Amino acid sequence: MATIGCRDFPNYLEPWLEGDRHPDAVAHARDCPRCRSMVDDLKSIQAAAQEWGRVEGEPSPQLWNSLRAQLVQEGLIHRQHKPRSWFTGWFPAVPRPVLAGGYLAAVIAIAFGLSGPVNQRINRARWLEGTQNSTTTLRAQFASAQMSATSSTFPDSNPIVTASLHKNLDIVDNYITLCEKSVNEEPENELARDYLFEAYQQKADLLSQLSERGGYGR
Amino acid sequence: MSTMHSISEICNWKGAGILATGLLFTVASTSAHRLERHFTVEPRAVITIHNPNGKVIVKAWTKHEVMVIANHVSDKVEVAAEQTGNRVDLRTQQLADTVAPDDLRADYEVSVPEDAELQIHNDSGEVSVANVLGDMNVETVAAGVALEDAAGYLTVKTVGGSFQCVRCAGRLEVSSISGSFRLLDLRSYHVRAQTSTGNILFDGEFLPNGIYRLKNYSGVIEVRFSPADSFDLNATSLKGAVNNEAKLTPPAHPQRSFSKFGYALGSFNAGRAKVELTSFDGTINIRKRN
Repeated sequence: MATIGCRDFPNYLEPWLEGDRHPDAVAHARDCPRCRSMVDDLKSIQAAAQEWGRVEGEPSPQLWNSLRAQLVQEGLIHRQHKPRSWFTGWFPAVPRPVLAGGYLAAVIAIAFGLSGPVNQRINRARWLEGTQNSTTTLRAQFASAQMSATSSTFPDSNPIVTASLHKNLDIVDNYITLCEKSVNEEPENELARDYLFEAYQQKADLLSQLSERGGYGR
Repeated sequence: MSTMHSISEICNWKGAGILATGLLFTVASTSAHRLERHFTVEPRAVITIHNPNGKVIVKAWTKHEVMVIANHVSDKVEVAAEQTGNRVDLRTQQLADTVAPDDLRADYEVSVPEDAELQIHNDSGEVSVANVLGDMNVETVAAGVALEDAAGYLTVKTVGGSFQCVRCAGRLEVSSISGSFRLLDLRSYHVRAQTSTGNILFDGEFLPNGIYRLKNYSGVIEVRFSPADSFDLNATSLKGAVNNEAKLTPPAHPQRSFSKFGYALGSFNAGRAKVELTSFDGTINIRKRN
């Protein structure tokens, strides 16, 4: 049974990455997939940072300071209440340039995961752009599929079925409109995006059923 | 008696003759397309049914045999029943290029061994399956689907047809666009039900380690629980309400909610089953069973 929570877990990360795993932190990580995944991510970053250190040059002091300022602003490190900063203790044997790369990746990985306030705007824009990119292509494909499904209209062998397919296509179209609106309002909302992609999937399925009709049973 | 007398008074021999001819014609036209076939099968036989419109009723029996009774009125379709190895294929075939909707109709009554595997495709009409314990896959467009005392891996997909499952066990996956679902007295360890505008009612057991995922876009999701049930609940309606009567212990680890509106998170008793209820703008009700 873990005696610490997600809030305290980051305090144990520094010794953890140096190989000193506190039993409470181990117990917590065992029970909490989110924190366990954070440890895994940081370990990957640590490994990648060591790799990058062999090829990267020394970062400018400005980059160094801006990275540090960003970390403070993100709330991931604090302005010295402890003798060592939280991050600098993570990679004691790794040279500074390596840390620069590592910090950068950590900022991206952690800020992405925890949706820090500073990155929120960037994330929103990124999600919106990502969603729009994928849905624009989909929309174009659907428009053409819908055109061919409805123009190649077959003799209406089972009007109940055809009516049902069209009625449900209208339902899905309406559902897509509402989901798109919701994604535009909250692009980072995973659930809204899921609903949108599912609606597209349903539309694809319906269009394919519509275009397959006609030769039924023959 | 007086009615009988008045009828016999009205009917003269000529009239009776016309009536008898009419009846004979009606009987002949309905029974002319009755097919009855029997197939001996091994355990775990596969039965496929492909029908554009009509009633498909499948029941289990104790014989190692598949019995098919199919009826159709029109000459423009025929029912083909064939056995290939341990598989029996039943199909309604269109014989003319254009067939009126009513002419497409064929009704099936099929008796199968309990352990049979079913694959049913019925666009409109209805599908009803009882006491079959093998895996089954049912696909319809507008036809409703009713399963009773079924088990195995059950996958059901409709476009607008409703779905009802009574006393089903095993694993259930059902999806629809506008169909509503009623899952009653269920004993399934894995339930995944997804519809867009339909309602979902789940009134069954939450088995330990079971996973229950119910999702819709709009409409109502209602789940009923007993005081002895044990589950972890994650209920989220992105833009709708969540009405929860279960006294939940908050999760040990904070979880992000995607909804500004309705959500309920936490464990009921020891949290042995996992229950995920998700809606876009529908209402989610978690109600104590009466």
